[in-house]
Amino acid sequence: MDNILSVLIFFPAIAGLLGFVVDKSSARVYGISVATVELLLAIWLWMSFDGTNAGMQFIELIPLVPDFGINYYVGVDGISLFIVVMAALMTLLGMIGMSIEKDIKNMIISLLFLEMTMIGVFVALDAIVFYLFWELSLVPMLYIIGAWGGPLRIYASIKFFLYTFTGSLIMLVGLLFMAYLYQSVSGVWSFSITDWYALVLPVDYQIWLFLALFAGFAIKVPMFPFHTWLPYAHGQAPTIGSVILAAVLLKMGTYGFVRFSLPLFPDASVIMIPFITVIAVIMIIYTAMIAYAQEDIKQVIAYSSVSHMGVIVLGTFAMNAEGISGSIFLMLSHGIVSGALFMLVGVIYDRRGTKMMSEFGGLASVMPKYALIFGIMLMASVGLPLTIGFVGEFLVLLGFYSISPIATILAGTTIILGAVYMLRLYKRTFFGPITNEKNENLPDLNGRELTALVPLVAIVIWLGVYPKPVLEPIDTSVKALISFMHEKAQTAEAKETIILSKTIKEAK
Amino acid sequence: MEKFVYIALFAPLVGSLFAALFGMTPKKTFIGVISSLLLATSFVASAILATYVVQTGHGIHVTMMDWISAGDLDIPFGFVVDQISVTMMVVVTLVSTVVHIYSIGYMDHDKSFNRFFSYLSAFVFSMLILVMSDNFAGLFIGWEGVGVCSWLLIGFWYHKPDESPDVNPSISPSWAANEAFIVNRIADLAMLVGIFVLYWSTGSLQYDVVFPALPYLDDAILTTAAIALFIGAMGKSAQFPLHTWLTDAMEGPTPVSALIHAATMVTAGVFLVIRANPLYSMPEVSEVSFFIASLGTFVAFFAASMALIERDLKRIIAYSTLSQLGYMFAAAGLGAYWIALFHLAAHAFFKALLFLGAGNVMHAMHDELDIFKMGGLKRVMRGTYLYMGIASIALAGIPPFAGFFSKDAIIETAFNEGTLVLWTILVVTAGMTAFYSFRQVFLTFDGNERYKEFNIHPHEMYKFVLIAMSPLALLAMIAGFFQEEFHKFITTSLEIMPNYEMSHHTHELALYLGILVLIFAIGGILLAYKKYANGLVRNEKVENSFIYQLLKNQYYIPAFYAEFISKPYALISTMLWKSVDMKIVDATVDGIANMFYKGGDNTRKMQTGNLSNYLNWMAVGLVIMLLVATIYTLKA
Repeated sequence: MDNILSVLIFFPAIAGLLGFVVDKSSARVYGISVATVELLLAIWLWMSFDGTNAGMQFIELIPLVPDFGINYYVGVDGISLFIVVMAALMTLLGMIGMSIEKDIKNMIISLLFLEMTMIGVFVALDAIVFYLFWELSLVPMLYIIGAWGGPLRIYASIKFFLYTFTGSLIMLVGLLFMAYLYQSVSGVWSFSITDWYALVLPVDYQIWLFLALFAGFAIKVPMFPFHTWLPYAHGQAPTIGSVILAAVLLKMGTYGFVRFSLPLFPDASVIMIPFITVIAVIMIIYTAMIAYAQEDIKQVIAYSSVSHMGVIVLGTFAMNAEGISGSIFLMLSHGIVSGALFMLVGVIYDRRGTKMMSEFGGLASVMPKYALIFGIMLMASVGLPLTIGFVGEFLVLLGFYSISPIATILAGTTIILGAVYMLRLYKRTFFGPITNEKNENLPDLNGRELTALVPLVAIVIWLGVYPKPVLEPIDTSVKALISFMHEKAQTAEAKETIILSKTIKEAK
Repeated sequence: MEKFVYIALFAPLVGSLFAALFGMTPKKTFIGVISSLLLATSFVASAILATYVVQTGHGIHVTMMDWISAGDLDIPFGFVVDQISVTMMVVVTLVSTVVHIYSIGYMDHDKSFNRFFSYLSAFVFSMLILVMSDNFAGLFIGWEGVGVCSWLLIGFWYHKPDESPDVNPSISPSWAANEAFIVNRIADLAMLVGIFVLYWSTGSLQYDVVFPALPYLDDAILTTAAIALFIGAMGKSAQFPLHTWLTDAMEGPTPVSALIHAATMVTAGVFLVIRANPLYSMPEVSEVSFFIASLGTFVAFFAASMALIERDLKRIIAYSTLSQLGYMFAAAGLGAYWIALFHLAAHAFFKALLFLGAGNVMHAMHDELDIFKMGGLKRVMRGTYLYMGIASIALAGIPPFAGFFSKDAIIETAFNEGTLVLWTILVVTAGMTAFYSFRQVFLTFDGNERYKEFNIHPHEMYKFVLIAMSPLALLAMIAGFFQEEFHKFITTSLEIMPNYEMSHHTHELALYLGILVLIFAIGGILLAYKKYANGLVRNEKVENSFIYQLLKNQYYIPAFYAEFISKPYALISTMLWKSVDMKIVDATVDGIANMFYKGGDNTRKMQTGNLSNYLNWMAVGLVIMLLVATIYTLKA
């Protein structure tokens, strides 16, 4: 199956179109079946992926606008492979865990379209294709928040759309200018990212282009101070919307840094380290503190997402394989854990219609299974060793220590502040006596919820104890990336900062 | 021999997972029995390994599988059983086995009996990982693992409500659990920094790569690593100023206090310093080591002072644990690592015994812990009285019980090093230790039966529980006799554990020094006897004095933390959210959006539909464009 990537991208979309003719009562089963097949395909992709090969695999290239060098060009490497698998997984589990009854058919179709765009973004190797999927992903999400959201859903969805769209337009200008530069140097038009990699740009051009792309990525991540759309989006979105948003959509921003900014502009990336570091550290500490002040459980998780994304951004700019591999692993682990946490908040919201901590207390004795799974996800979220959360966080902090010990210590406060807001949340919700009599007879997790959550628990522990199957392919591609950046860097400072690993040094 | 390593390590995990299967079902006694048997298995395996290490003189090193590898970092699940770790393994599994059996009786009426055993065995597993790991990252797994188990077990009775700190200084089990976890996390950050420093300067986290590389590193790196790792140790071993969580941790069930917050987990910090002795004995970090010794001595005295007036039985023992940890750090900081380890082991035995005895008293007194409400319990609880007496004698350092040998060696070390200030404080603290230990014994077991006023009918613990405690009592009595054997065994391989011998001069004076310490200890006991053996006489004047209040409020440190850390943090957080994030950051975004919206709204008025208006605007536009064109051409 050479065209597995196209199948992965378009199968959900075609199935989504066919979904219009499916009967409403069987829409959920239909959606779950499609998502299951999609996940199996993604796993098949993983199994046939050659983990020792650092380059792009399963490449497909179909010319679209040959005169401008725009091609349908897709491929997957260790960096994008697992994000694709995770997108398929979270879509499936999100659908299983979903409790929505209203307009279920529309929801299923939106999710399937969303799945297409998510996978498309992560496998696209042509800037125009990448941009198309990037922007298209806004549409289903806009609809999901706007149609199934809370009381402020219209405000939240429009804010989400316009804010990220503005950033993306600046990014588009950057991409077009990049293509123009490529044309002026080589004489032919190309939007292929792999062609662009070969282009060595003057440092000042790199900086301007870096900033243009930064606008798109930073709003998506979202980085401080562009993060304020996120609490509204999460606050108003239905559970499934938050799960997908936190697990996959935010990763598009950090993925963009790894796929575009680092290899295209190695010198600018090194020059920008102080700037990025300051923002990332502010993000980590500032949003962790805001998370502590929240009264709404979902807002705590929403702000904690921003805080963790700060750690991911920091790792991306560690300029060594430890940090960048850790950062990519953390993207996956944050996807799994924050997705699970949003699902867990959804569970309690379904039962009580509220997410305020003050309404709860003592849930551990009425809902022990719920408390257990929440507890495991909490520990993964605060980065306990032998859970998935530790591996990435440890590697990122370890990697960034070589760039700046002080910044690492400041960023490392995430392990303290994270514990502070999460434990406070857990204590107020699950511990103490049952103060509200409405909580006395809450039913524990049901079969549907367990089916969605137990696989996530299994992954959290499996990849915490044995991350190798995932970490190894990531690391292989990252080492190649680092070595490429080192080659390409022009300034002495960049050459020095981008640390080659020993194995690569010896190979030379 | 490798299979015994795995048996010792994984038997508790099996026990934990097995108990977890029944975690949400009603009490089943066989869960406790099976977990205890698995723990006993682990103990036997550890003992076999210990015999092997004693006989052959070399350790066992196994690598199970890879854990994390990225870049140049390569962390395996590797375990090393050498003189240091095998000592820890035997101590941990022995005390754990006793505590497990004890808990079958103690947790008898608890509806979460099964869950308790699951947590307790998980703790032992984490602790074993901590001591057996062959690298710093593996140690960190155990380090955080015991932290989580401690969180789970302190908060075991999570359903209790929060109380005001005046009523209950620990507020509630769930509060105390969170405090313990967060304070430890602060220290863990420093520990991670220590790990990062070592990684970037040696390229590995394996002990057998890092330690031999130390002599080639420069001073700044060594000092940073030593300080950072020690801050990590301060959290786990509750050294000032990160000590407040330990006394609050007494909210957990008493077997937990015995095992985790006295015998094993809190000694992890001491273990780390002992394990990293190649680092701490480097001449470049001698100042850090001396700081460790000084801080240890300070904590020994500081904690003992608070124990002098405490009324809560478990808190007294918790303070004494803090104080004894201080002694261990004093020894380790002065370079007498093997003496620190010896005191660690001896302390584990008698302190666990003391706590388990306290558990019996608590059980008898229906969870009453105020020793002012006890008295005369020896008439109904002979066995417990005997055990607690033995443990207190050992703690007070009266020969021939274990505490005398181990503690005296530490005090002698302080003299031998010529650090007379430390020596003086340690001697005085020894007297205080004897006083508060026996104050607690006399107030609990002697004198008038004050509990009758509160209508409590105490009863002795189950017989099997008392029998289960006997190995600890025996060891508390005789462990001291094995000091020389232990010394020889532990220093077999000097790379793992450097030798420490007293100088000739100290050796000659040893007898007099020992007698001096003994005079202080016996003096303390006599004072306690005089004041408390015949009943409690309360003195209002003393109790209202400044010093008494200062000690009672733990030098106002918890209040200080609440006032100057917790409250401002909450205030600033709320301010950042409501004033900065909502009012500034978000409002700016909305402001920009509004500007465009309003701009559009206003310019819409141009679209009047009137042709002459449009012509006017066209003229204005034309003029502007001409102006721009002119300026542009002039510039060029």
